[in-house]
Amino acid sequence: MIDRSKDFFGDMNDIIVARRLTKRFGHFTAVDAVDFHIKQGEVLGLLGPNGAGKTTTIKMMTGLLRITSGSVWVKGYEVTKNLNKIKKFIGYMSQKFSLYPLLNAYENIEFCGGVSGVPRKIIKEKKELITKEIPREILTQRVKDIPPGIRQRVALFSCLISDPEIILLDEPTSGVDPEVRREFWAKIYDLKKKGKTILVTTHNLDEAEYADRILIIHKGRIILDGEPSELMRAEKAESMERLFRKAVTGHEAN
Amino acid sequence: MRIFYLFKKELIEILRQREMLVLIFIAPILQTIVLGYVVTTDVKNIPVQVVNLSESRAAFRIVNRINHSSLFDVKKVSHSPEDAVSIFKKGTAKAIIVLRDSFEAGNKNIRYPEVQILMDGIDANTAGIAAGYFNGIVRYYIMTDIKQKGFELPLESQTVIRFNPDLESINYMGPGIVALLLTMISMFLTSIGIVREKEQQTMDTLLISRLTPIEIFTGKALPMALLGLIEMGIGIAVVILVFNIQIRGSLLYLFITAVIFLFAILSYALLISTLCNSQQQALFFSWFSMVTFLLLSGLFTPIENIPRAFRWLADINPLRYLIRIIRELFLKGNDITYFTKDLLIMTGIMVVLLSLSIVNFKRMVSR
Repeated sequence: MIDRSKDFFGDMNDIIVARRLTKRFGHFTAVDAVDFHIKQGEVLGLLGPNGAGKTTTIKMMTGLLRITSGSVWVKGYEVTKNLNKIKKFIGYMSQKFSLYPLLNAYENIEFCGGVSGVPRKIIKEKKELITKEIPREILTQRVKDIPPGIRQRVALFSCLISDPEIILLDEPTSGVDPEVRREFWAKIYDLKKKGKTILVTTHNLDEAEYADRILIIHKGRIILDGEPSELMRAEKAESMERLFRKAVTGHEAN
Repeated sequence: MRIFYLFKKELIEILRQREMLVLIFIAPILQTIVLGYVVTTDVKNIPVQVVNLSESRAAFRIVNRINHSSLFDVKKVSHSPEDAVSIFKKGTAKAIIVLRDSFEAGNKNIRYPEVQILMDGIDANTAGIAAGYFNGIVRYYIMTDIKQKGFELPLESQTVIRFNPDLESINYMGPGIVALLLTMISMFLTSIGIVREKEQQTMDTLLISRLTPIEIFTGKALPMALLGLIEMGIGIAVVILVFNIQIRGSLLYLFITAVIFLFAILSYALLISTLCNSQQQALFFSWFSMVTFLLLSGLFTPIENIPRAFRWLADINPLRYLIRIIRELFLKGNDITYFTKDLLIMTGIMVVLLSLSIVNFKRMVSR
């Protein structure tokens, strides 16, 4: 049951709501009072250049970083107060894939499942499942020796092993070739069809069109929020890159 | 059950590094053997020079005894004065023994030369021991000589040494080395445990998992404790088999002591790991701590030598208690009643370190 506290003022369909979410490191404000929401079953793209505050935002949503001020609710639970509860709903894949280089792919998957409380039997079944996608001889190699594209798939598989409702992916396509990227987005659509809510951060503007909705973040502030095609039409921008430049220029002028 | 996966992961990570395996399983054998032979407080073969300016038979006999003693390595015997400072500067001898005829022999029946020993004080420890040895030789000679001349000494002390009658330093260094091994491997491996997660950016995987901070802490510490105990087992086997030192006390007490000590040292190492930002920093910190623990442990020098104002540093050093208990178990065969106090103090230190470490880890996790 969703526990909607009196502070929660999102829509009933909003699975994640952030209000004036702020993170400061000393005098530097990495994320500056951002407001946003993510609807259930939505694929949201959080776009911005390196250092814009994407990873900081996602880490505050998962409880990996302490929030300086503001709040974020996941399924109605305020993150700071209900960290253990929200961990059940979230699958998180970090920027560098967060795999153990000395463990092989199977061992990484087993570890992620095991520490997420997935029963042994399910872990075994999931390991069989990935063998259908990636050859066993690759999966038995140490992760440090396998190509980035496969590493990314293993990381995504590990993130999904506990079958989370909300999937937070931090720069999942960085360092992989276009073919792997396309395959990755195909997987994201499969997950969406299964009713999962997905947040993907990226600095590749050409990936924005894959998302149902995008948030453009710049210098810790959200400067655009909307469906990619609508935003392009409204801003009269013929490409995502133009749209981004316009938004940044407009934001800096203000 | 979740903790089992972390335990397994930690072990796999260590055992998959070939260099680490050598460090864990081969190094302790070599270390115990090498340290057992090398780290000795016995002072032998002290290079000395004898300047014998006396023509007495007594002087001749004393020189003869020095020559035949394994304690001294007589480099030169001269019969004319020598420049002591020059000899010490060259480093050819650490002591110069000078014998010359006394101008005022109190008793004409017993005529002994005047004896002087000049020491190179750079190595104060050896100098002190050498002076003691030499005085012993002279005293023994005089006593024998007086008795031969029909005199009786009014007072004579008799020394009886128990537990290590031959005063072999390996007998008490060996068990100390076992304690050293236990500390070294556990501290170094554990101190990089959490910082490695930070460096290879896998900390997020742990923190986003359902593991609680205490589970992460325990899952990190337990494999190291296991490896530490294996290390200790190897060390004990080497000490027993190579140096023929028998353990007279209970192995169970040794195990209990080791486990308490391990949790103290692992807590300290995990504290280092949470405070440092790189493995390099953690290793440096561990090395610095290791040297301090070692110097304040009583392994090489007696705790009683430490000035009172700094003795508290030794009192809070868990290695001090481990070494004492291990020595008591090995050499004296004492049961737990003899070292309950040490065990309780060590447990107290362990509880404080463990609490500090867990609090700090929780603080780090919620940053």
